[in-house]
Amino acid sequence: MADLKIQGLAKSYKDVRVLESIDLDIASGEFFTLLGPSGCGKTTLLRTIAGFQHQDKGEIIVKGERIDNKPAHKRDIGMVFQDYAIFPHLTVAENVAFGLKARSLPKSEIEARVAESLKMVRLDGYQNRLPAEMSGGQQQRVGLARAMAIRPTLLLMDEPLSNLDAKLRIELREDIRDIQRRLGITTIYVTHDQEEALAVSDRICVMNKGNVEQIGTPFEIYRKPLRRFAAAFVGTMNFLPAQLDGGRLVVGGQSIPFPGSEGAVEVAIRPENVVLAGAGGEGDAILLKGEVRKVTFLGREAHYTLKTDVGEIVAQVADPEHDFIVMEGRQVEIRLPLNKIALFRPNGDVVKAGPAR
Amino acid sequence: MTRRIRFDLWTFVLIGAWAVLLILLVWPLSSILRASLLDNDTGAVSLIHYIEIFTTKVYQRAIGNTFIAGFGGMTGALILGVTLAFVTTRFHIYGRALIQTLAVIALVAPPFIGAYAWIVLFGASGVVRKGLASIGVSIPPLYGVAGVILVFSFKFFPHVFLITSGALGAINRSVEEAAESLGVSPMKRLFTVTLPLILPAIAASALLTFVLSIADFGTPRIIGRDFNVLATEAFNLFGGEVGGNPGMASALSIVLIILSMIIVFGQRWVLRKNVYYSNLMKKPERKHASGLKAVGLHALAYTIVLIGALPAIIVVMFSFRRTSGPVFQPGLSLQSYEKVIATVSAPIWNTLIFSSVAVVAIVISGTLIGYLISRRPNIATGALDALLMVPYIVPGIVMGIAFITRFNDPPIALTGTGLIIILAIYVRRLPYSARSVAAALKQVGPSLEDAAVSLGYSPGKAFMKVTVPLIVPGIMAGALMSFVTAMNELSSSLVLYVGSTITMPVRIYLSVMDGEYGTASALSTILLSMTAIAVYAAFHLSGRKESALL
Ligand SMILES: Nc1ncnc2c1ncn2[C@@H]1O[C@H](COP(=O)(O)OP(=O)(O)OP(=O)(O)O)[C@@H](O)[C@H]1O
Ligand SMILES: [Mg+2]
Repeated sequence: MADLKIQGLAKSYKDVRVLESIDLDIASGEFFTLLGPSGCGKTTLLRTIAGFQHQDKGEIIVKGERIDNKPAHKRDIGMVFQDYAIFPHLTVAENVAFGLKARSLPKSEIEARVAESLKMVRLDGYQNRLPAEMSGGQQQRVGLARAMAIRPTLLLMDEPLSNLDAKLRIELREDIRDIQRRLGITTIYVTHDQEEALAVSDRICVMNKGNVEQIGTPFEIYRKPLRRFAAAFVGTMNFLPAQLDGGRLVVGGQSIPFPGSEGAVEVAIRPENVVLAGAGGEGDAILLKGEVRKVTFLGREAHYTLKTDVGEIVAQVADPEHDFIVMEGRQVEIRLPLNKIALFRPNGDVVKAGPAR
Repeated sequence: MTRRIRFDLWTFVLIGAWAVLLILLVWPLSSILRASLLDNDTGAVSLIHYIEIFTTKVYQRAIGNTFIAGFGGMTGALILGVTLAFVTTRFHIYGRALIQTLAVIALVAPPFIGAYAWIVLFGASGVVRKGLASIGVSIPPLYGVAGVILVFSFKFFPHVFLITSGALGAINRSVEEAAESLGVSPMKRLFTVTLPLILPAIAASALLTFVLSIADFGTPRIIGRDFNVLATEAFNLFGGEVGGNPGMASALSIVLIILSMIIVFGQRWVLRKNVYYSNLMKKPERKHASGLKAVGLHALAYTIVLIGALPAIIVVMFSFRRTSGPVFQPGLSLQSYEKVIATVSAPIWNTLIFSSVAVVAIVISGTLIGYLISRRPNIATGALDALLMVPYIVPGIVMGIAFITRFNDPPIALTGTGLIIILAIYVRRLPYSARSVAAALKQVGPSLEDAAVSLGYSPGKAFMKVTVPLIVPGIMAGALMSFVTAMNELSSSLVLYVGSTITMPVRIYLSVMDGEYGTASALSTILLSMTAIAVYAAFHLSGRKESALL
């Protein structure tokens, strides 16, 4: 049970600023996910929290107490490493028991926890293997089991499932989530899998170039992005150039009443909210004409790439029929419902005003 | 890197290391620096010796020759050592422990007798040379610059071999396989992937062999003829054969030290960007070569180590020859052994005790210091690293004289004790251990230690539990090298010994000086056997474990 507060955290390597000024407020028992492009500073942030390197500026506060000057091994912060960091000279069981021995738990307890953790990562039976005799994904799971076994007050996971097959990844992420909830371990999780982030997180923090772009629940991040970067990075988003002019929104030849601010904007809409004509629709919408350029089959759905005179739009069609392929080259009517769009200013901020969203 | 100072275990190690080196290295050597700055006659402070060095022909030539010997010995040792390391780590070679033992034997061919054996074989009337001449092959006698470089190559390649085979054995196999899958031929892969990966080890051993080559005086003295180097000049002037000139000798030693410092910084510069870590997960496999290739590889490996061990072998053979005074007679006999057997036990015990005590201290402090150097790079550790080069380069005799000068009177009065010999060995061989540990650490990724720390181990414990087991090969290699060279330490002991603290190498040297080659050979053989047993035991014991040496 521990809450974590980070204030004004900055970190540079030599003269490169990697973390600009990070503020986070993570509640006790929360499952908090960092999402961001490669190289944006996620690992650096985790390593600083864990205490492997010292921040240049800022404070890290756990349970109301500054831990900046506590050495790493006294912080009781578990970590799953991006490069696994499995001890190559120890067997799987010894790896998992490693942190438990440091806590001088009774032998029976250690054995029980090793067994339990290995079971959780689907590795029971591998106790006596050496890491060199295991696959990449198996090694990764040893690292996961090793960090979970100590039941730390704070658990940092740096892409713990990146090397696993899709099915196992879904199973394990549910298991991690369950255990995390049961034990109430405050968790910071890094992943590049957006679906995973949306599925397991209490809140998600979208990072870019060492800055926090937006923090919010998965719903907020996906449905109500406050920054253009978050909108573009999480999921697929269509962006169209537009103009706010005298209380009207101008997109291509279209002009719709849109009270409030002025200036150049971008219209953003998710593919699943783009309505193709024929499907009908209610309420205000931007109407466009387009030609189907490409159809991509994705299993559960299909994506149509449409060419319009304001730019390309990707539309999602649920439950595609087998004949969807013949759509290529057809002309279609496109509706962009006003209550589903978001507008972003050139500086990346969302435009708050407008009709109810 | 954190810029602020944090007080942990490593801060104390750093302070301790500096204290030790200041007391045992800088303080004694300051007496040499002082002597070099005093005019012999007037006792006034002057730069006269240094001016003389750079204006006198014979010294200028010595400086040039020192570089030639240094680079020559280094190049030869690198070629032989890396080749042998590559063959033995990448292919199945029968008798690997034997090869390793022979390599170490080559390293310790007993003082003076070693060079003497080369002359017996390849000198003007050398056995091998004559034998070859009788079948029509004529080779020039070994003397001169070529001979010196050749002898250095075969004398110092084991250092390269030991250091680089440790590194070669720890390359992540995936990296080499990746190169292969990218369409790089095995030969090209060697030069574009494998060798760059072990560059730190190669650079470390290059530096070592360079410095050893320029500090060695026995070889150029006996084989060089008129090929004079700084070390021989210094030795002559200290030794007093031509009257003695301590001021000049000291100045030459200081020049030698400064030269090697320059090389140290050169090496630093080459390695400035060099941080590779592999996770040790997939170790390289030894391939089974077949047919002609296998024969060729075995021949190559055995030729290198056998030539290297030749002087030692010759000495053993000589120890069984009949002698009459200093002259060897035809026929075999054990008379040399009969002569030494009664007097040999004290030197044997002294040798064993002194070197064991020194090596225990060396391994512990060398491991800690090696860690500091490679994992906490900052100005203090960098300077420590550079300072650690000094013991390599200071000729043993200079170190001995420096110790006598400084530790003769209170507060530290040690003359005549075993401790002073141990301390001299300790400070002279500490760099072996520290450097080979530093090299081994280059291949253990730091995130492993972070992982242990995040699991609740203090940095000290994390180091003991995770890092130490992974660098055992490096620690062992350093320990072995220091133990073996400690057992065979001559020059500093020669200055520091008294009757009760005489060691085997000193006994051998005295016998050689008395012209008793038979006795000297017998004593050398005993010393060699002790060395060989120690080495073989080390290789054999560690060979059983998965994390085997090399
Ligand atoms: N030791 C270092 N020295 C200098 N720069 C570094 C160092 N470690 C990381 N960086 C740089 O800092 C930035 C952030 O790195 P970090 O590892 O935190 O990224 P990340 O968000 O974890 O990326 P990924 O998703 O690819 O793992 C990168 O631009 C990287 O190049
Ligand atoms: Mg990362």
